[in-house]
Amino acid sequence: MCRKKRKTVTYVAIIPLLILLPLLITACWNNRDLVNINIAAGLGLDSAEDGKILLTVQVVEPAAIQSGSSGTGSGGAQRKPVFVESYEGETVFEAIRNMLSVVDKKIFLSTAQVLVIGEKLLIQHSLEEILDFFHRDQEFDYEMIVLVAKDATSEEILRIETDMDPIPAVYISETVENTVARGTVKKTMLIDLIKIMGSNEIQPAIGQITKAGENKVKTEGTAVLRDGKLVGWLNSYETRGYLFATDKIKSTIINVDTENGKVAMEIIRSKGKIKVDFKNNELSALTVDVKVDANVGEFRGKGTLATPEELQKLKKVLEEEIKKEITMAIDKAQRVYSSDIFGFGAYLHKYHPKYWKSVKSNWNDIFSDLPSDIRVEARIMRTGNINSPADGDE
Amino acid sequence: MAGRIRKRKRILIGSHDICRDEFCRRDEQYGTIPGSIEAVKEKLNEIFSCCCDFICREISCGKEGSIKILVAYFNGFVDKRVLNQDVIHPILEFLAGEELHDGSRIYRRLKESVVENNDITEVNDMQKAVDAIVSGEALLFVDGENRALVIGVKAPQGRQVEEPDTETSIRGAREGFVENLLTNTTLIRKRIKNPNLKMEMMQIGKQTKTDVCICYIKGIANEEIVNEVRNRLNKIDTDGILDVGIIEQYISDSRFSLFPTVGNSEKCDKLAGKLLEGRIAILCDGTPYVLTVPYLFVESIQNTDDYYDHAYFATFMRLLRLVALLLSIMLPGMYVALVSFHHTVIPFRLMITLAASRQGIPFSPFTEAIMMILAFEFMREAGVRMPRPIGQSLSIVGAIVLGEASVAAGIASNLMVIIIAITAICSFVVPPLIRATMLLRFVFLIAANFMGFLGISLVAVIVFTHLCRLRSFGIPYMAPFSPLTLPDLKDSLVMVPIWAMVTRPGILRQEKASGTKGTKRQEVNGRQ
Repeated sequence: MCRKKRKTVTYVAIIPLLILLPLLITACWNNRDLVNINIAAGLGLDSAEDGKILLTVQVVEPAAIQSGSSGTGSGGAQRKPVFVESYEGETVFEAIRNMLSVVDKKIFLSTAQVLVIGEKLLIQHSLEEILDFFHRDQEFDYEMIVLVAKDATSEEILRIETDMDPIPAVYISETVENTVARGTVKKTMLIDLIKIMGSNEIQPAIGQITKAGENKVKTEGTAVLRDGKLVGWLNSYETRGYLFATDKIKSTIINVDTENGKVAMEIIRSKGKIKVDFKNNELSALTVDVKVDANVGEFRGKGTLATPEELQKLKKVLEEEIKKEITMAIDKAQRVYSSDIFGFGAYLHKYHPKYWKSVKSNWNDIFSDLPSDIRVEARIMRTGNINSPADGDE
Repeated sequence: MAGRIRKRKRILIGSHDICRDEFCRRDEQYGTIPGSIEAVKEKLNEIFSCCCDFICREISCGKEGSIKILVAYFNGFVDKRVLNQDVIHPILEFLAGEELHDGSRIYRRLKESVVENNDITEVNDMQKAVDAIVSGEALLFVDGENRALVIGVKAPQGRQVEEPDTETSIRGAREGFVENLLTNTTLIRKRIKNPNLKMEMMQIGKQTKTDVCICYIKGIANEEIVNEVRNRLNKIDTDGILDVGIIEQYISDSRFSLFPTVGNSEKCDKLAGKLLEGRIAILCDGTPYVLTVPYLFVESIQNTDDYYDHAYFATFMRLLRLVALLLSIMLPGMYVALVSFHHTVIPFRLMITLAASRQGIPFSPFTEAIMMILAFEFMREAGVRMPRPIGQSLSIVGAIVLGEASVAAGIASNLMVIIIAITAICSFVVPPLIRATMLLRFVFLIAANFMGFLGISLVAVIVFTHLCRLRSFGIPYMAPFSPLTLPDLKDSLVMVPIWAMVTRPGILRQEKASGTKGTKRQEVNGRQ
């Protein structure tokens, strides 16, 4: 009886232990006050002369951001909410450490919201090389958003001053988050890249960022990599096609032309599936299956959308439009960049591992020569408050 | 622990067989009651020399003052009006025409019919007579008799029954216990009208001879535990019991634990509830607090109001109390751990807020937390002890100095003030554990400063292990969670409606809970 009871006691002691265990899985070991660190919001990497790396850090000045609400920071002139500092180094780590010769406090990196990589750097060095430190160091937030800067260096992008958010890095990451509603940029997190790093099954594609005017940026499009190096870009339509195929679309607006005028269709649900078809034990085609649900959002033109025939027509046009975008994306990936950013290789590896072994080494070339078969199925759910919805349409 | 008592010399109060003690030797010294009234008077005056409030009146009555009686009592302690009306007056009337025949006949008549008071006992030796006088009763002695009558004419004393300050309730009864033991027993009897409600009286304290009463319901309370209570009370060997808190310290299972293993209450309805659950109450004369044993951890988050309202609210309030308890212990430590160690787990926006509030503070978060907690504890202690009219100025000083000035001066951060305020409020949510949380807070804070969440986890595991090991009169402290007693969970964190509570708490009535056989006996008696 006593033993039995002692056992129960042990179990009950274990429960709080288990609850408390996750608390142990938290980073650093040394007592470091919040006041003694520089909180990084954004990081940028560019290529410098002699193959060196130029590291840019955007650091938050918390007191300046909060000065309105608390009495402590009221004295003195208005301080800038962030400061941006760049430093050259042979390696990323060296640059971060040596930056302390111009910066007062140790830079704390795990709060970084975005990592912007300059296009020149990505052409010269492979992604594996660049991200090695981010992968190796335990301090980084794996959900940090990675972007590739086009027509600008990452330093230029991090140095913008925007009115929308006191911290430019937060502004940038928020525009990327908006892709949930527009589907025109690929949201790439550090963990996504680390997962596929060095594999042949799928090539990395990273969101693109450009400067739009003096103090604005634009996140649209996708950078396509092959073997870790930048080979080209997808524009916003191709990006959307790519996202449709890889099942990353949450919602987006697609304009379609009908006989009566322009209709803006709001995609509310989308399901994309990719497959590789075999015929006589030989690869025959790359298949993309997309199913979307859409609402009519806006109709510029004459006529109604009241009859099933009209809606049927609209549906056809919408399917065509989506199919066009996907075809554009696949064509570009095959013919121009010859880089399997869709992950057909991963499908092969998963379902036909033996066959995958034989094509693994030159998969990107094989991928480029395959015909594609794209099937899109759309459903129109609602036509909005005006023009009563037609019954009977599916 | 109980073993420590055993090693000491001990006495059994009211029993005369162990006479090694000084107290018992004094017993012999008084001897028997002498037969003549002069001898008695002399002896009493010798015992009560230099007691200005001692009154010893010799009354001569009967024809030509042939019969002498003696009344002895403490002035102010007895109700003189009752003494005169019910005792002296009838005696004088009865003896008016009598002549001295035989001391013992008169004595018998007085005892059996003349004295109108019901509360009469006979004593044979001087010791008992003296005991009766010092506890506020009147002694009646008739010349020629070596016995005396003790007449209970104690004057009702102390304050009226009123609402207790410490345990206010919204819906419950407003009656609270008072300092007078008899009033308290009456208050309990009024609620439980049952002959099975037993009250066992004993006296503890060599000098003070304080009346202590064990109260339980026979048939519901576990006999083993009742015996255990009796034993532990008997083992108390001290000069004085001034408050029930002293008894509490003597009878606690784990004397070095921060957590209370003996409960106390000032409310009659709460106590009645505890008795009906099978708990045992210990009342002590001169204290408005009543102890209840066994006391388990869940009781600290229970409240009488829980039972008088719907179970939904009670359950919610209990969960709330548990959260408040955890917060009041851990919050400052958690904050220090977050700010000094685990920056990675703080969300980015919160991080900026935290960093902004810490900007320009010259102290480390730990120092800051210790300073603020100490300031709060000073204020609390001052507020408890000082006269009420000054309390207002204290709260103003506290609010301005702690809340405003320290932040404006850059000594403490805004967030720290909030953290300490929440901690302080939470610590008042669970009153029985206020003192335990106060000390544990520092322990957690120090652990957090050295090892972050790892330190907090370590200390938490130690505290939990201690709680699971703790016992109150043989009952595991963490029951019904550990050992898991499923039927008893009905009235733990989650409370089922009162009509669904069909059984009494099982854990208290286990046959061998504090049993005489097996290992548990050792846990109760032999635990060090």
